[in-house]
Amino acid sequence: MSTFSYIGKRVPPVDGEERASGRAEYVTDVRLPGMLFGKILRSPLAHARIVRMDTSAAEALPGVKAVATFADTPGIPFGPMTAFEDWYIFAKDKVRFIGEEMAAVAAIDEETAARALDLIEVEFEELPAVFDPVQAMDPGSPLVNGRERNVVMPFSLERGDVDTAFANADLVLEEDYYTNQVYQAYLETMAAVVRPETGGGFTMWLPIQIPNKSRLTYGKALGIRPEDIRVIKPFLGGAFGAKMEANIHLAAAILARKTGRPVRIVNTREEDIVAGNPRVPMHIHLKMAFMRDGRFAGKQVRIVAANGARTVYAPPIMATACYRVDTLYTFENVRAEGYAVDTNTVPTGAFRGFGNSQMTFALESMIDEAALELGLDPVEIRRRNAVPSGFVSIHGWEVGSSAHEQTLDNAANMSGLLSRRRSASDKGTLRRGLGMASCNHVSGNKAFFPTFDGSSSMFRMAEDGKVTVFHGECDMGQGQTTIFAQIAAEALGARLSDVTIAIVDTQVAPFGLGSFATRGTTIGGMGIKKGADAGKELILQAGAEHFGVDILALDTLESEVYVKADPSRRVPFGDLARHFMFTHGGMPMVAQGQYVPDTVAPDPKTKYGNVSPAYVFGAHVAEVEVDTETGEVRVVGYWASHDVGRAINPMQLEGQVQGGVAQGIGWTLMEDMITRDGRIMNPTLLDYRIPGSKDLPRVQCDFVEPVDPNGPFGAKGIGEPALNPVPAAIANAIYDAIGIRFKELPITAERVFTALNDREATSKSSAKGD
Amino acid sequence: MSKILIELTVNGDLRELAVAPHERLLDVIRDGLGLTGTKEGCGEGECGACTVIMDGRPVNACLVLAPQAAGSEIITIEGLTADSTMSLLQTQFVERGAIQCGFCSPGMIMTAKALLDDNPEPTEEDVREALSGNLCRCTGYEKIVDAVLATAVLSAEEKAVDERFTTSSQGGDR
Repeated sequence: MSTFSYIGKRVPPVDGEERASGRAEYVTDVRLPGMLFGKILRSPLAHARIVRMDTSAAEALPGVKAVATFADTPGIPFGPMTAFEDWYIFAKDKVRFIGEEMAAVAAIDEETAARALDLIEVEFEELPAVFDPVQAMDPGSPLVNGRERNVVMPFSLERGDVDTAFANADLVLEEDYYTNQVYQAYLETMAAVVRPETGGGFTMWLPIQIPNKSRLTYGKALGIRPEDIRVIKPFLGGAFGAKMEANIHLAAAILARKTGRPVRIVNTREEDIVAGNPRVPMHIHLKMAFMRDGRFAGKQVRIVAANGARTVYAPPIMATACYRVDTLYTFENVRAEGYAVDTNTVPTGAFRGFGNSQMTFALESMIDEAALELGLDPVEIRRRNAVPSGFVSIHGWEVGSSAHEQTLDNAANMSGLLSRRRSASDKGTLRRGLGMASCNHVSGNKAFFPTFDGSSSMFRMAEDGKVTVFHGECDMGQGQTTIFAQIAAEALGARLSDVTIAIVDTQVAPFGLGSFATRGTTIGGMGIKKGADAGKELILQAGAEHFGVDILALDTLESEVYVKADPSRRVPFGDLARHFMFTHGGMPMVAQGQYVPDTVAPDPKTKYGNVSPAYVFGAHVAEVEVDTETGEVRVVGYWASHDVGRAINPMQLEGQVQGGVAQGIGWTLMEDMITRDGRIMNPTLLDYRIPGSKDLPRVQCDFVEPVDPNGPFGAKGIGEPALNPVPAAIANAIYDAIGIRFKELPITAERVFTALNDREATSKSSAKGD
Repeated sequence: MSKILIELTVNGDLRELAVAPHERLLDVIRDGLGLTGTKEGCGEGECGACTVIMDGRPVNACLVLAPQAAGSEIITIEGLTADSTMSLLQTQFVERGAIQCGFCSPGMIMTAKALLDDNPEPTEEDVREALSGNLCRCTGYEKIVDAVLATAVLSAEEKAVDERFTTSSQGGDR
């Protein structure tokens, strides 16, 4: 295919008008006849036995239709991952974190429901609690879920000859890093509207990234078949990894079952912060061996990660941190050891980067340190280890395309990194510096849901020739609908305006895995393309009948079938579709296609296996200005180069990168869930500040297009890699500006100020000593 | 608790409503009038998702009590779409990719409208200052800022064209 109609074009969001006009319906906008309003009673204590719970006064309050507790649930332990089922819809006999669901009320309005919560009497017997994952592993620490040393999942892996690599190394570095707990802070809080259906099933309107997959978990929790649950995912107000399985959805279902009426529950912002799925905090001990020429001879890492009080996705996130970066560079000798550990804190889950971002902070900080020690520049040391196209990593990951090296060069060139670092202009108390970091990621991950991998779509062409595409993936605001429409229109040869991408309704949509692991564009996009290919086949067959020629003599463009040898002979899709329908008993043209990648679920023991059809790479450069008087760090310039396989929509790619960088800047400099004895001290957007319009620089974006052999039109993903390198790029820039290396996030003004003062005190006292 | 009868104009329509003294303007708009384009992101005035224009000024509808809004003129996001055609500002938000999840967009657009009504030729700094009370977690604000600046430029051009042709046609009449 030489030229594209829609691929590579700056197509505005196809559903932008709905969103810009206020017409878009989000779950929080859904109103059903007879709908009740629910509220959840959450634990005020971090660890306590529930001695007694009295709901009678709440039930007696006029306007209250039901109060539900553990006794109203099937009482089946469940969880997002079948290996770690430690969830109950409402606390069984003890609470494990502040914010855990204990009961819920359904009432005629929210106010009445809130008043009823106050009337529920609970008697507790407090239990000793543990909050730090390292402490939680100590013998004698209180057990959160009864697991030995609170370890939910240990992880270990070794490949190559690590000991020899370290013995023969020219330079060995060893450091401790800490990445903190941060909140996804999407603008729409978690919510559910659930309607009970005759026969015991439910229709659930959910803002969820995994509308299909969640039904497997919810079926178990509710004691019904997944097929009895219909999930509708309308417009979704941001997720970033947090909106996977959530008890709020099930609490609404239990109340709906008990009252026989639809129930709506919407988290307050505070509830969303104390009981959401924040990022997994990690203690990372990293040791690396380097050769004089900059080659990475070996890597050894030990990670302790906080799981929180029940298991969301911390175990695979910890595992990801242990070894995903092994395919960022050409590592040969690696050893990793990791633990996901129960603590009496809010359960932790996926947040853009899925562990890879945590490890990238440590790795890319250490690489900069090594470059300095070895007298290499930050681009060169990375380039010497960069993964090329066709590379197969030590873990069996098959890198079909990589422009890692090109992204390093482009980021460096755009920013003037090499000429401007260490000499960036200083003014008064302000010091400027530049820093680089690179990143990799997957585009899909068979390890996440080993049952199956892939995606599919169904095309229905109505009598007017317009096409509706059904799929089971998930647009959570990242622009997937537009990308899918572009892919569908291009592959089918339809006008973009003739293509509608349906919202996900599991009653009609195929089973899609949803949005995670940066899989949407690559795997979801291939599912769309395969459906479109099948649709094209059908319309060409109809065209062949119409023209009385062979199907091979025809092609499609702009919603018409034409004869290749004589393009003036053409017929609109609508004419063919109408004829088809009226000659097939009213059946519209329906086509379906599926993509099944040859990915491999990693061997449980060795972790060997190609988990993704495509791998992405990128490099960022940050320029910071540090005020040495206040410790305040401002990011004043930012450059990002990404290997995207093929740019389906450069404008949306920029949006993803700018948003990812913004989130990374927030994490690095501003955001922290300050927790004392298991209580989050800043559960509002006033005290938990995310970047505003004045906190961010412009981000200069660059996209390299090596055209991947597996992605749709060669495209790979962008969501998570856009954030992964940000903390290290900023930390490296701060080092360039003031010569102090920060190994703990966030790098707040207070920490910078203290470090600057400590250094001054040290240099003064050593001067005195002399 | 007895309710208070209030009158207010919403998107040009005079509405009479019985509200509780502590009811929020946001609930009146979303639940009372069914105008769900205005979003609730925090309920504490921190995120700006519920921004509407009240008597020409952008306000967080979650912080305004309904009785306080009595007699006022409110414009919500729905009020910007005349005869199912979006305003230039909304069109620029769409065409420049300033919308991702869209949950902040209605509030963001209302704040931007209030800015442009007040200051038709804002600088980038003006725009960033005006939008600083509206949080967005998806875009990094860059495309939003550009959409607002582009709207200002296009409005000025439109105005110049209008003026020129109005002047010449008037000239022709004489």
